[in-house]
Amino acid sequence: MLETTELKKTFKNKVAVDNVNLYLEKGESVGLLGPNGAGKSTTISMISSLIKPTSGEVLWHGKSVVKNPNIIRDVLGVVPQEIAIYEELTAYENLQFFGRIYGLKGKALEQKIDETLKIVGLEDRKKDLVKTFSGGMKRRINIAVALLHEPEFIIMDEPTVGIDPQSRNYILEMVRKLNEEKGMTVLYTSHYMEEVERLCDRIYIMDHGKIIATGTKEELTSILSSEEKIVIELDRPYPNFVEKLEQNEKILQVSVSEKGIDLIVPKNSQLLGEIFHIAEKLDVQIVHVNVQVPTLEDVFLHLTGRNLRD
Amino acid sequence: MKNIFLLQWKRFRREPVLFFSIFGLTVLFVGLFGGFSQVDKVEVPTYFDPSVEGEKDVWLERLNEADTFEFIEKNQDSIIKDVALGYVNYGLEVSDDNYTLIVAAEHQELVLLDQFLKQMFTEEVRINTIASQIDNTEFRNDVLTALNEPPLTVEKTTMNNESRPSYDARLQALFGMTLFFAIYTVFYSLMNVAREKRTGTWNRIILSPVKKWQMYFGNMAYAFIIGFVQISLIFLLFKYMFNFPLGDSMIDILITVLCYCFAIVALGMLVLGLSKTVEHLSALVPIVAVSFAMLGGAFWPLEIVSNNILLMISKVIPVTYGMEALTNIALGGQNFIDVSSSLALLILLGVLFMGIGINLMERRA
Repeated sequence: MLETTELKKTFKNKVAVDNVNLYLEKGESVGLLGPNGAGKSTTISMISSLIKPTSGEVLWHGKSVVKNPNIIRDVLGVVPQEIAIYEELTAYENLQFFGRIYGLKGKALEQKIDETLKIVGLEDRKKDLVKTFSGGMKRRINIAVALLHEPEFIIMDEPTVGIDPQSRNYILEMVRKLNEEKGMTVLYTSHYMEEVERLCDRIYIMDHGKIIATGTKEELTSILSSEEKIVIELDRPYPNFVEKLEQNEKILQVSVSEKGIDLIVPKNSQLLGEIFHIAEKLDVQIVHVNVQVPTLEDVFLHLTGRNLRD
Repeated sequence: MKNIFLLQWKRFRREPVLFFSIFGLTVLFVGLFGGFSQVDKVEVPTYFDPSVEGEKDVWLERLNEADTFEFIEKNQDSIIKDVALGYVNYGLEVSDDNYTLIVAAEHQELVLLDQFLKQMFTEEVRINTIASQIDNTEFRNDVLTALNEPPLTVEKTTMNNESRPSYDARLQALFGMTLFFAIYTVFYSLMNVAREKRTGTWNRIILSPVKKWQMYFGNMAYAFIIGFVQISLIFLLFKYMFNFPLGDSMIDILITVLCYCFAIVALGMLVLGLSKTVEHLSALVPIVAVSFAMLGGAFWPLEIVSNNILLMISKVIPVTYGMEALTNIALGGQNFIDVSSSLALLILLGVLFMGIGINLMERRA
């Protein structure tokens, strides 16, 4: 349905998106995962025809979006990262305006506004000014605007940034329903791994403008299938302990976390004894040890050497 | 375009404070600089020398025939004291064949006063010289009769009625301040475009079936109408409530306002195109508004500017042509066809500014 080939965007001399190839099938929910500045927003701006690529192509059902942006605009809903609504107007007035510019009018428009407000759970607040809404409610109206004209394909650019867990949960559930129950094709960008894991059938991991890995969640985590993760919680930071662990050739990756140290080690390497021995020698106080199966976060760390939220 | 245009009015209805603040400020400044009521005559404290003691009333009557000045008799000491302490700018001492101005500092009205007195005394001395040689009363009566019923009347006209209208301080304040503050109203209305670009609603509309030109025109039409309404309301207010001499044809004035608003909206688009952010634009608006008003003669008439570079710059400033056309209509009794060259230049500048402005904005998009 949608395909990008060798998509590239440079701003002056800086490459923001570098030869990105991705595709989406009808009814799929695809995640674009990457840290801030990875090039996700630029990629979706090119897909949605907002900016022209420096080179490469975006194809919608085989036709060039670059040459004819209208072929995608008519069927596309975009939820931008920023809250792109008029805060001095009511929720109803916002939807009324955006509905009208999509050619909706009269009773059909009224009906559509009511339906959309119901989807985002704001039917009781439709006459309130958006500026009186909480962050989560604003995000929901932001989504409602994109749903109003019943798009076939929706792009969501970090739609849950800066909101409380309850609102986030509501939005994620809403996106899942749109995809599963209404068959809407979703391209979801986020730097929250758990959101992408929960919502998406397939995931593209992006960093420094490039797609560095792609596949289902299982396929991606299998990158680290021959490894396991040891999470060591310490009573305080021990730089010399980290140094000693880094010198150990059997340990594949050492990263300092908030509470201690995370290690990626070969599966069944039985390194725990060795780690405890080093800790004892350096008088390190270990509070807790946990051996885990690697997550997408670990895959990202493994591929890029940095955390998603760096 | 209609939806974009109506949206701006809906937003205006929710937040009209800025418009009414600028409207209020315009009224206040026009009132402060132009005065809400008819201009009073300038008072001139006058002392009569003992040589004209018997003819004081006749002199006072003749002096008070002046349109601009009102001569009030005072004693010499109080005039000198008031001038010395700065209570009055000048005083007048009249003797039988001469006059003396008592001045502490130069003042713009002094030239006019001196001119008036010089003309009057020359005439008076001439009459007196002849009258002293013949019958005094009869000669004076003959002069008065001749003045009232002149045997020959000379009427002066110029081609295309292009004579420069005289200056009126109240109209200068009204036109200058109104055109100046209207720049703010129009620019701040157009700032919605910059704000929409920042909040992302602009991109949202781009992705809808609305065309780019409709987005620009919807916003420009709103800024144009709000500017036009503001200027027109202020002109009507001062014409009918405070009796400002705006002339007989409000239609010609309003046609000029239409052309001016078009040029200012276009200038706003250029400023928008030059600004990278809303903050940048906010800083640029007062700089452009104040400098354009200064250079265009909104604060003082361009006739007093002698610097050729400034006069050259004023040729590309819409305020110049707006002021010129409005003054010629209100004071020179001209109509919009007579001032068509100024109006054409306003439209030309508008087209130029708009072309560059939209081009710059699209390049930045």
